[in-house]
Amino acid sequence: MTETIARRARVTALYICLIVLAVIFSGPLGWLILTSLKAPNELSVFPIQLLPSTPQWHNYIDAITFIDFLGYARNSLILATLSAVLTTISSAWMAYGFARLSAPGKKFWFGLLISTMMMPGIITLIPTYLMFAKMGLVDTYVPWILWGLSGAAYMIFLFRQFFSGMPKELEEAAILDGCGHVRIFWRIFIPQSWPVLAACMVLTFTAAWGDYIAPSLLLSSDRTTLAVAMTAGYVNEKGFPVQNLLAAGSTLFILPVLLMFLFFQRFFVQGFSTSGLK
Amino acid sequence: MTATLEALRDTPPGTARPRSGKRGRAGQRTRTFYLFVGPWIAGFVLLTIFPLAYAFWMSLTNTDGLSPNWSYVGLDNYVRVFQDQQTIASLGRTMVFMLATVPTGVAAGLAMAVLLNRDFRGRALFRALFYLPAVVPGVAAALTFKIIFDKNAGFANAAIGATGGEPISWLADPYVRMVLIFMILWGVGGSMIVSLAALQDVPRELLEAAKVDGAGPVYSFFRITLPLLSPIIFFQVVTGVIGSLQVFVPSLLLAPVNGAAAVTAVPEGNYFFMVHVYAEYFAKSHFGYASALLWVLFLFVLLITGVVFKIGNRAVFYGGVDPSERKD
Repeated sequence: MTETIARRARVTALYICLIVLAVIFSGPLGWLILTSLKAPNELSVFPIQLLPSTPQWHNYIDAITFIDFLGYARNSLILATLSAVLTTISSAWMAYGFARLSAPGKKFWFGLLISTMMMPGIITLIPTYLMFAKMGLVDTYVPWILWGLSGAAYMIFLFRQFFSGMPKELEEAAILDGCGHVRIFWRIFIPQSWPVLAACMVLTFTAAWGDYIAPSLLLSSDRTTLAVAMTAGYVNEKGFPVQNLLAAGSTLFILPVLLMFLFFQRFFVQGFSTSGLK
Repeated sequence: MTATLEALRDTPPGTARPRSGKRGRAGQRTRTFYLFVGPWIAGFVLLTIFPLAYAFWMSLTNTDGLSPNWSYVGLDNYVRVFQDQQTIASLGRTMVFMLATVPTGVAAGLAMAVLLNRDFRGRALFRALFYLPAVVPGVAAALTFKIIFDKNAGFANAAIGATGGEPISWLADPYVRMVLIFMILWGVGGSMIVSLAALQDVPRELLEAAKVDGAGPVYSFFRITLPLLSPIIFFQVVTGVIGSLQVFVPSLLLAPVNGAAAVTAVPEGNYFFMVHVYAEYFAKSHFGYASALLWVLFLFVLLITGVVFKIGNRAVFYGGVDPSERKD
């Protein structure tokens, strides 16, 4: 009897903890959405007004027309897709080399790869930008193509861990059949590794979609991405932010990431657990 | 070039071509390896080594990035780094920020992972709710926090007002640093997910055996779970330290002014080392001096990472189950 009471108390305590945390963690986004539905005169009233008296759904339409939302969204979409596809394919390509081929120098390069995972990335960004500027590549998508083609160290590592776990017999049989490594990679390894491909796509897409600093350095204001445009666009004639439209725009900006997250949550988690970081 | 072409011809690696002997086959294998790994090596040289070298070269000059009249100034810029009050102050602030966010972030993430590492109704929902903020892009997180902590229309001041307090200028000194730390810790779900994945790899037999031997849950946690988790905790500390030493984008995003001028408007509390570097480059066009600052930061990050590894090697337990032998 006392045992069941103690157990029930424990379960209740657990749920109280979880609910408090859930309120804290979803609070900011909740407030963002509530703000996005308020009329301008409801933004700063005393005392606090939590809910809008009538949800101003047209704020969302206004947010899209206040700035060239769709134009910037298109730029973001192109850039994020380009970056995700190239990074994924090239990371898998290079991981195949590290997982399945041997050559003098392999140990060295792999060690280097692992240490670049800890490279301070922000530090190289500014000189990289200056270099691209000297090469006349500012305001083009070429930098992202180059970044994509050279892969991402963390993703290469992820694929390498996955490929290493695949049975050797697979490619031995293929080699006996006269199949080369390029074809083994495309025909056997790529079709088998869709969970990692999906994880890598989702992670690189969302990273590129949300990235602020690289597009703000490299792209001019009309070619830039939504992430950059969001920060500067929603101001009135006096230069003050239009809070409700800003909130509506931000909600729309987060939406694709949120949807990807909901549909591919599994892959986000898998991305971390399959890597077997040790 | 010929190596690439030959490899592209896609000769089966096992079947030697008529003329080539043993050496030819090894050469072929090496070429295939570099065909696969080559793009990464090229990218590393072009997009990491070269920019670093370029920055080092600039750090020896007084260039402003545009004017053709520049000259070598030797190590003057490096001497200046240590005479610049801003450098020392911003480095100190960065260290405080690191110490405030990394240990709390890792510990909170671990605590939440422990909370979720059991079977109960609604587990998936709570996991998603806690993790969600970590996938919200930094730009959107900053805009959200600016709205919440807005002086006139924000939730924070509204709540303070409801209890009769005076409104606070959250986005100015000294409070803005607190807002930044809240914002960073809001994304602690990322750390939670990594720790949770590791917790689920702790072999059940081990915990059950300990229970049979009479060990309580607290004892098992500190003596079994935590040592098995130490590599992943160490990994989080290393990446957290490296990331927080370079913090600067959140400072820009929380600044009261947006766009290119943001860097000149960052409140002192959020004026971290990398913000200083950025300001020297783009607000003052001191390219030479800013490049020297960048190199000092680079060496500092390497030094701190080295120290963390030195400590970590003693504290981390590597005797766990090899993840490649896992059966799931």
